[in-house]
Amino acid sequence: MTACNSMKAPATADVAVSQAAVENASQADGTEFAPADMQAAREKLALAKKALAAKDYKAATDYANQAQADAKLAQAKAGSAKAQSVSATLQEDIRVLRTELDRAGAQ
Amino acid sequence: MKNIRTNLVLASVVLLISACASNPKSTSLLDQVRIDYVQAQGNPKIATYAALEMQSATEALAKANAAAKERESLETVDKLAYLAKQKIALATEVASKKSSESDIASSAAIRDQVRLDQRTQQADQARVKAEEAERSAQAARDAAATATQQKNLAQANEAQAQRQAAEASAKNLQLEAQLAELAAKKTERGLVITLGDVLFGTDLARLNADGTRMAQRLATVLQQNPQRVVLVEGFADSTGKTQHNQELSERRAMAVRDALLDMGVARERISQRGYGESYPVAANDTAANRQLNRRVEIVLSDDRGVITPRK
Repeated sequence: MTACNSMKAPATADVAVSQAAVENASQADGTEFAPADMQAAREKLALAKKALAAKDYKAATDYANQAQADAKLAQAKAGSAKAQSVSATLQEDIRVLRTELDRAGAQ
Repeated sequence: MKNIRTNLVLASVVLLISACASNPKSTSLLDQVRIDYVQAQGNPKIATYAALEMQSATEALAKANAAAKERESLETVDKLAYLAKQKIALATEVASKKSSESDIASSAAIRDQVRLDQRTQQADQARVKAEEAERSAQAARDAAATATQQKNLAQANEAQAQRQAAEASAKNLQLEAQLAELAAKKTERGLVITLGDVLFGTDLARLNADGTRMAQRLATVLQQNPQRVVLVEGFADSTGKTQHNQELSERRAMAVRDALLDMGVARERISQRGYGESYPVAANDTAANRQLNRRVEIVLSDDRGVITPRK
């Protein structure tokens, strides 16, 4: 039990960190851009909380770590998708501008 | 020899795996993660943009590999492998994001440049248009000025023409009056002035005082009408030898010519001919008629200096 109690604080911290990671990812539109990863993160966070409640600190830490990894990935996927979209928009803008420039120059 | 040893090693590995089937040195997930890892290592974007995330993934994979090497439970290995897998994916996404952001930065610069080019081009085109407009406006102004100038010139020309016409008509009136004094006759050859025999001394080729006055009047007409020329034609009657009469007619014509020359008429404006007994104006039967035939006729040209030749 002593060993188990010594793991309580870090496990609680891990769950809290995971909770924050999931919230950050959600705010960063992770649900929209990486629904599967967000779903996995939420499910594992729930499992971590459940394990924490059941004082299964090792499982709580494991689930929390996985939830955190999933959430971070979801957030990164949302970020890269958005950046790619912006980049593509810019490229299109440039293409249109150049076409206009060429057309205007040809007049 | 080497092949045999390799085969032996492989055989022992197979034996080991068979013996420890419950606690394998790898799992299918870990195998997959190792492949992901090798791909991530080959991704230059990750090296550039996600070195920290890759470091974290490397450590996670090392833990999974260590767990597998220590023959920990399949669940434990897979748990660690899963974390490594997600971290490798994270590194890939972060690299992709930062690479795109870098593209965005350079694209934004390019877009700004293109926009600048566009504005420069528009400004250039506007300037060219303005210059063209200014040129056509200038051309229009020039054309208007030229038109005004031409109009003024035309008006001046017209005024001058009217003045000249008035002068010409005044001159014609004057000429007519002067010619009336000379008893000029209008014939189909033009105006003809006849200097009768009485204006010459008998059988002489010399003008008397009256003849000289007539010549003076004619010289005045010619000086006032410089475009006109004269043909002086001498005639004789049929008395005496034909040769003599021919010479007499020529001499009288020349006498008139000389008189005109003396009065300042230019030589090239005067031509003369003697016709002898030809072209009598009356029968040579009486003294009075013969006197009519002895004469000098002066044909005055038209305004252009043309004299119709005798038929």
